[in-house]
Amino acid sequence: MTALTLKNVWKEYGDQVVLENLSFDVAPRSFVALVGPSGCGKSTLLRLLLGQEKVTRGTILLDGAVLPQEPGPDRGVVYQKYSVFPHLTVLGNVMLGPELQSERIWGRLFGAARRNLKDAAQLMIAEVGLSGSEDKYPAQLSGGMQQRLALAQALMMKPRVLLLDEPFGALDPGIRTDIHQLMKRLWNELPMTVVMVTHDLREAFTLGTRVVALGRTRDRPEEAARYGASIAKDIEIWPPRKAGGDTIFQSEYALGWDDLTPHGAFAGRPDPSTET
Amino acid sequence: MRLINQQLSPPVATALKFAPFALLVLAYLLGSAARLAENPNDKLLPALSSIAAAVDLMAFTPDRRTGDYLLWTDTWSSLKRLSAGLGISTGLALIIGIGVGIVPFLRALLVPFVNFVSMVPPLALLPILFISMGLGETSKIALIVIGVAPIMIRDLAQTVLALPREQIVKAETLSASSWLIALRVVLPQVMPRLLSSLRLQLGPAFLFLIAAEAISADSGLGYRIFLVRRYLSMDVIFPYVAWITFLAASADFAIDRLRRRLFPWSELEGGR
Amino acid sequence: MTITRRLTLTTIAALGALSFAPTAWAQEKTDFKVAWSIYVGWMPWGYAADTGIVDKWADQYGISIEVTQFNDYVESINQYTAGGYDAVTLTNMDGLSIPSAGGVDTTAVIVGDFSDGNDAVFIKGAGALADIAGRDVNLVEFSVSHYLLARALDSVGLSERDVKVINTADPDMVGAFQTPDVTAMVTWNPMVAEIETLPDAVKVFDSSQISGEIIDLMVANTDVLADNPKFGQALAGIWYETAALMTADTEEGAAARAAMGAASGTDQAGFEAQMAATKLFADPAEAVAFTSSAELGATMDLVRAFLFDKGLLTPGATSQDAIGIALPDGTILGDTANVKFRFDTKYMQMAADGTL
Repeated sequence: MTALTLKNVWKEYGDQVVLENLSFDVAPRSFVALVGPSGCGKSTLLRLLLGQEKVTRGTILLDGAVLPQEPGPDRGVVYQKYSVFPHLTVLGNVMLGPELQSERIWGRLFGAARRNLKDAAQLMIAEVGLSGSEDKYPAQLSGGMQQRLALAQALMMKPRVLLLDEPFGALDPGIRTDIHQLMKRLWNELPMTVVMVTHDLREAFTLGTRVVALGRTRDRPEEAARYGASIAKDIEIWPPRKAGGDTIFQSEYALGWDDLTPHGAFAGRPDPSTET
Repeated sequence: MRLINQQLSPPVATALKFAPFALLVLAYLLGSAARLAENPNDKLLPALSSIAAAVDLMAFTPDRRTGDYLLWTDTWSSLKRLSAGLGISTGLALIIGIGVGIVPFLRALLVPFVNFVSMVPPLALLPILFISMGLGETSKIALIVIGVAPIMIRDLAQTVLALPREQIVKAETLSASSWLIALRVVLPQVMPRLLSSLRLQLGPAFLFLIAAEAISADSGLGYRIFLVRRYLSMDVIFPYVAWITFLAASADFAIDRLRRRLFPWSELEGGR
Repeated sequence: MTITRRLTLTTIAALGALSFAPTAWAQEKTDFKVAWSIYVGWMPWGYAADTGIVDKWADQYGISIEVTQFNDYVESINQYTAGGYDAVTLTNMDGLSIPSAGGVDTTAVIVGDFSDGNDAVFIKGAGALADIAGRDVNLVEFSVSHYLLARALDSVGLSERDVKVINTADPDMVGAFQTPDVTAMVTWNPMVAEIETLPDAVKVFDSSQISGEIIDLMVANTDVLADNPKFGQALAGIWYETAALMTADTEEGAAARAAMGAASGTDQAGFEAQMAATKLFADPAEAVAFTSSAELGATMDLVRAFLFDKGLLTPGATSQDAIGIALPDGTILGDTANVKFRFDTKYMQMAADGTL
């Protein structure tokens, strides 16, 4: 059983071929980093997986079933920006998904249901290190805190696939390192598959279990429109990383093998106050 | 030092704020004195004492014929029409604006029509309005709605369309239906803009109100101004104009306060 | 510092005086401005300006006269009252209530015509004037229509308390009459002619029943006239030449009526129908006789009583005598120390005598 399967996927906009005959499988609970030069179709592929756009030819399967034609709660997403709702507080943003899911008329819960949800939301907020900021609006948070919030909001839906579109690209290096720790931990603890688009190779190799590079096979200008991108490289990280159970992150021996961050920084919770 | 870098001390800044007003009053007083010296009964620029007498007559003395205090009955009539017109326009803007902004079917159906209607000069339609809706309150309110609603609808639809697509997709991944996206994602985010739009439309709404009242009415601020205009009673017109200005400015201020209170985040977003 | 301040004050005073000061009235001058608005009895002024009759008479007296058409009657009177114009066309009632009540001493130079059916009261459905009781009446408040309504109600023993007046703008009268909630209306031509053709309109009263009370005038500022009698003579010359032309049963006369009809938004036939409801004084001797008659005094008495009742005869007026009205025979109605409205047959008499 695989989480995601792409079979001979083509994506064209008019005459412009963007993706050409893509086929690959993504194993459950893997963390795939999609890399490639600008404009090679990484984000297009992510939108196809989201259901925001339709494939021109080919099939995408999610756990064996054809992917729905529009976005849904089984696939969460975090963008580089605009991922959270500016009119809701941190708590409101995190509670929004379950509220929408369980109350289909007003999209709001009251009474005991609301209290239960609030408790769950507060746990999630603590999980991403935003405790104490529950009543703040996104505009009052730093960029890194906003992305933590976006992760918390998406994860409340317990998505089978989490799609990340350059989620940490706009963050300062120090903050990015902190949030990488968080990302690793979340991926390890929660039963989900992650597909992340990034242009940062180091990030790809730090977080991924597998790095897929998209690229055009033919690059002559007159051919650019007629030939789309396909898989240029597909690298399994060695030694293999596995989510759940004992992982390198919990093993003292493996510490720091492929991560330059000192142990102490990720054993504890990242401290939001260091972010500005 | 360059003009753009001038630092004004607080007393100077205060003095400058009041200077244009003071200059206007002074010019009026001098012009009025000059005209009254020539013709003591001049009505174009009456003395402040005549204006005060007119205010007393309109606001604090019951009318000889009806026993009403004219300024207050006029204000009440006009505000009823104005709030009905603006209320309906706001409701329409909310429903149609959001519908057009998020539902492609409604967008295709209504956008060209609303754009077309917003270009129609409403005052030219008055005879049709009066014949189809009568001379009563309905046609006056309808004039305000026709004049104001299309622009508010367009403005709101633009605001909805300008919301990042990412937010809508994100809401879909949070399992929202079209209705819930409208209710919990789009509506609250466009409300501040709706209130700002309402503020901007206060001026035009007053214009349409006064135009409608000038055509047929038996009370109202515009009615009174056009009635006494027949006698060049500037001593009544000036206080009425000042009163309308005050009402509009108060409403403007109140709506902005309301926005800040109801949607504190909109202030944060603006400050970013 | 004091010098600067004084300079500033002087500048502001000069600015204020420049922008608001009335045009200097009382002095001899050669350039005059006349305002008129569209109405059957005033169309000759526009026609005379277009066809060179105005320039001809102005040249004869060595002056220049600028004739301006206003689309808004009230605005033309306001402009005159504020001092922007030397003469204006208006009715006897509006002359008393606007410029005279505004302290501008005004003289009727030409009594051009009176309404003889041009103003009318309509009701829907029922057949008699008395049925108006209890209805809303749409009219231009405080205009001659309001006066006509007062006189009409008076004639059947009713008063304004028996109806409710709804102020309605004159361009919208015809449209308004076709709405179901309008059941009674007072208006003037050309609207009267339009409304008469509507199916359920019943004309229950018109100005021919108060013949000679609604009078259309060319008035001028008394001081200007006193210092510049040439201006009055030129106005009389223009009026009687044009009036003779428009009443003539000749090809030129028909052409003039067609032109005036077109200018007032109708055609020759429509214009002639309106003329039929107007008693036009093309003969100056007839105008002099009408103006000097005792009936004019009686009419002005009714008019000032109406205006006083409506509070329009100057704000502080305590009686209908607040403003003096000078009649041609020298009698004065009201306050002799505050004569602001005068009927003067001098220029019409000169026209009658052929001494212009």
